[in-house]
Amino acid sequence: MTLDASTLREALEALVKAHPSLAERMRDEHGRLRAHLSLFVNEEDARFLGGEDATLADGDIVHVIPALSGG
Amino acid sequence: MAKQVVLMVGTKKGLYTLRSDADRKKWTQDGPYSAPAPIHHATYDPRDGSMYAAINMTWGGSRIDYSRDMGKTWQKSKNPAFPEGSDRTFSQTWHIEPGHVKTPNVVWAGTEPAALWKSEDRGETWQLNKALDDQPSRAKWVPGFGGMGLHSIAIDADDPKKMQVGISVGGVYTSTDGGSSWVQDNAQTGGKEDRPDVFYCIHKLLAHPKTSGVRFMRVHVDVFWREPGETTWRNRTEGLPTTFGFAAAMHPRDRATAYAIPLHDTERTAVDPGIAVYSTNDRGATWQRNDKGLPPGARLESVREGMDTDLLDPLGVYFGTANGDVWASRDEGRSWERAAQYLPYVTSVHAATIE
Repeated sequence: MTLDASTLREALEALVKAHPSLAERMRDEHGRLRAHLSLFVNEEDARFLGGEDATLADGDIVHVIPALSGG
Repeated sequence: MAKQVVLMVGTKKGLYTLRSDADRKKWTQDGPYSAPAPIHHATYDPRDGSMYAAINMTWGGSRIDYSRDMGKTWQKSKNPAFPEGSDRTFSQTWHIEPGHVKTPNVVWAGTEPAALWKSEDRGETWQLNKALDDQPSRAKWVPGFGGMGLHSIAIDADDPKKMQVGISVGGVYTSTDGGSSWVQDNAQTGGKEDRPDVFYCIHKLLAHPKTSGVRFMRVHVDVFWREPGETTWRNRTEGLPTTFGFAAAMHPRDRATAYAIPLHDTERTAVDPGIAVYSTNDRGATWQRNDKGLPPGARLESVREGMDTDLLDPLGVYFGTANGDVWASRDEGRSWERAAQYLPYVTSVHAATIE
């Protein structure tokens, strides 16, 4: 989907605004991103781009990928 | 309408349902719902026909789902949430307990980290029971092998204000005011030692559904019985082949009858001569081995929520095993037939009797 955001955090907020049921799937009750969620900006791991403070430019592509873990 | 039995079978990879008519000879299987999520517990609320399931995902977070149409469709609850500033985070749900018939919209849940939650809107939202959370003795709770969970919620048959909760490892707490206040409730009689503090690792605590004051408790070590008016737990382990086990059930009509599946205390599987359901009809004073139909020598395992009964006469008793079997008895636990096999590891069995 196309979102209007200047940071990764704003993009996630816009995503949840569009799909409210994602709120509890992405964050715990204290607002922390869930441990099994990986974020990428233009295929770069967002952890190395400033995390949720990573800046976004027009046309940037964000992937939100839940890691399927367990047995 | 003829009666039906619906077994809600929680597994390590989703929720299955087994359905049968009142004969309970043939079972049809549906599912899984929400695989590959582990389902620690699923239950049916006879007051309004709702179903609840503890969906314990590692990714996307755990949640509680509810169904108002017998499992055809499911909705997600608003997650239990520890208050802002708490150092704890909701991890997973161990048990969901429909409230008393006198409190029609109330549903309870026990979670990890160990906490009690109350819903007053049929499971759509959950509020933390602060009185239990504020117990100074909570500082002494520690995790057991399976984590630190509140997994038993025992509501009195007559009075919904009288209830107990069981915690691993935190012992029993009793409330007589519907959860507004709690006292530790661990004094025992007849055991090897007096352990009144929190250090009981409760495995399952049940309230008799018809007789006020009757309780049956499966602890890490030993089983206990409580009669109306008693304030201690009477040790009733003698006659069982081991002191250890998880699965427990009570006869819904006969207040003196209960069931347990003893396991080896370190290997966590049945001991020789194989898995069996032990039953008592005298409040745990004596125990009988019931293994007719069960595989001889099988070192099977049944865990905390692994056993339940229906409400039919003669009583149906059911248990699930770690190797994916569900066993059913149509004669009050005396003999057994396999209702399902090759399921994932069975973590819970709940028998719903449907009119």
